[in-house]
Amino acid sequence: MNRAIMELTVRQILGAKRTLLLVAFALIPVLVAILFRTTGRDTKLDEWTANTLYAGLIATTLLPLVALVFGTAALGSEFEDGTAVYILARPIPRWTIVVSKLTVAATATVALVLFSSILSGIVASGGAGSIVSGFSIALAAGAVVYCCLFVCLSIVTSRALIAGLIYVFLWEGVITSLFSGLQVFSVRQYVLGLADRIISTNPATFSARLNGIEGGILMVAVAAVAVIIAVRRLKVWEIGESS
Amino acid sequence: MTAETVAPANRPPLPGVEAPAVELTNVSRWYGNIVAVNDISFSLGAGITGLLGPNGAGKSTLLHMLAGFLAPSAGEVRMFGEPTWKNPDLYRRMGLVPEREAVYPFLSGFEFVRLSARLHHLPDPDAAARRAIARVELEGAQDRASGGYSKGMKQRVKVAAAIVHEPEILLLDEPFNGADPRQRLQMMDMLRGMARDGCTIVFSSHILEEVERLAENVLVVVTGRLAASGDFRQIRRLMTDRPHTFTLRSNDNRRLAAALVSRPIVSGIEVDNERISVRTSDFASFAQELPRAAREEAITLFEVTPADESLESVFSYLVKR
Repeated sequence: MNRAIMELTVRQILGAKRTLLLVAFALIPVLVAILFRTTGRDTKLDEWTANTLYAGLIATTLLPLVALVFGTAALGSEFEDGTAVYILARPIPRWTIVVSKLTVAATATVALVLFSSILSGIVASGGAGSIVSGFSIALAAGAVVYCCLFVCLSIVTSRALIAGLIYVFLWEGVITSLFSGLQVFSVRQYVLGLADRIISTNPATFSARLNGIEGGILMVAVAAVAVIIAVRRLKVWEIGESS
Repeated sequence: MTAETVAPANRPPLPGVEAPAVELTNVSRWYGNIVAVNDISFSLGAGITGLLGPNGAGKSTLLHMLAGFLAPSAGEVRMFGEPTWKNPDLYRRMGLVPEREAVYPFLSGFEFVRLSARLHHLPDPDAAARRAIARVELEGAQDRASGGYSKGMKQRVKVAAAIVHEPEILLLDEPFNGADPRQRLQMMDMLRGMARDGCTIVFSSHILEEVERLAENVLVVVTGRLAASGDFRQIRRLMTDRPHTFTLRSNDNRRLAAALVSRPIVSGIEVDNERISVRTSDFASFAQELPRAAREEAITLFEVTPADESLESVFSYLVKR
């Protein structure tokens, strides 16, 4: 990893406006949890926390969108405005650039998602049991995988943001929900499967459609393939192709 | 005149002899059915070379291939004998100033140049950045955010970032865009100094006067082909299918015109009170005949000026062919 690139990336992706917006976005699950605790009646806390808060809100919306914003901003914005040349025209191996950028994007995503998931989970369920910790671990792992995917996407296409939104909302939100055979191509299902495996709760409280071990293996595989593709594409990146 | 290369470039360097700084061998680049660069070969050593061509001629494609940011579809682009494509280690010896004026707006000029020094793993990035900023005379604005720089200042900070590691080859894409006349002169002086120190500098520019003033060699690219290369005055002299025009001034213009008009190498003469305009198809013979004729007629020559040897006239001629 390259420290200079990481420091640059921190300043790139943590611009004041973007960070404020994402922090506000991360507070939405906390507000929903507060609303639930103040108005909800006759509802099982664990069940609501696992299914509505985590599986229904954070894993489906907050996690992929934060990863999409940070993942595509880390390198994609440089291709867009032409500043990528200032990093690429330096004697630095391409894998170092990808891994440095990815590390910053993933760290920022993990931090924001964990902040939201832990705070909202404690508010919603009181923090008892393994639901908060289990989901938080799975969400953190999912954040890394999503970032790998979106950093890769930003190198492969100049329309990474649109492609990412289509993947999150159309592919994961609609298509893989309709056809169960396609769950193995959904990072969201990996996250839910892994969470289910970690929390080992009563199936009546929460049950994922994908096996946790399968989900974990697929996470590693998808992240590795995305990084390999990203490095390979960056090695043959031609000026003008992503701008 | 046919396309000429500075030197043939299809031989491997001899053992112990360093390969040319820049070497292109039968390089072509196409995008689908469109040929952007067509079978170009040349090699360059230390000095300043101007890359000229109309829009869409292929000069940016050529510069990007030199910089290792485009793969040749055919042929080889080498620097110091190594291929530029997929070879980031070459950036230790090469600096690139891209045409786009974008810089990281949140970094100050100093931070921007220091970033470049750090990415080059220089032992003292701060000192290297200070030196480079001093060379482009940007010390006064080095602590301001570069997002607020003028176009000329952005150009200078980009140049500083490109030379911070003291490269042996410097590639510049339209480096004088946005620079005021004083900055332009200062940058030209700096580039001349680098060339004197042995740096190979290749720059593209659409301003012919800049190329004429700065470049020792020109590469003229027209519709993807290398139309000409070398010293542009020599190129002009090689264009034998077009008359050369000279403006002469002497102590007796009419008698000199009468002496010249009978010579077979002179294809036309116009005389007014002040000057004679002579057209000839043979530059070298005319250069010998003119003093001979003046001597025979006991005429004193005050001025002999090639009237159409400006780079602009050379360029226009090559583009129209």
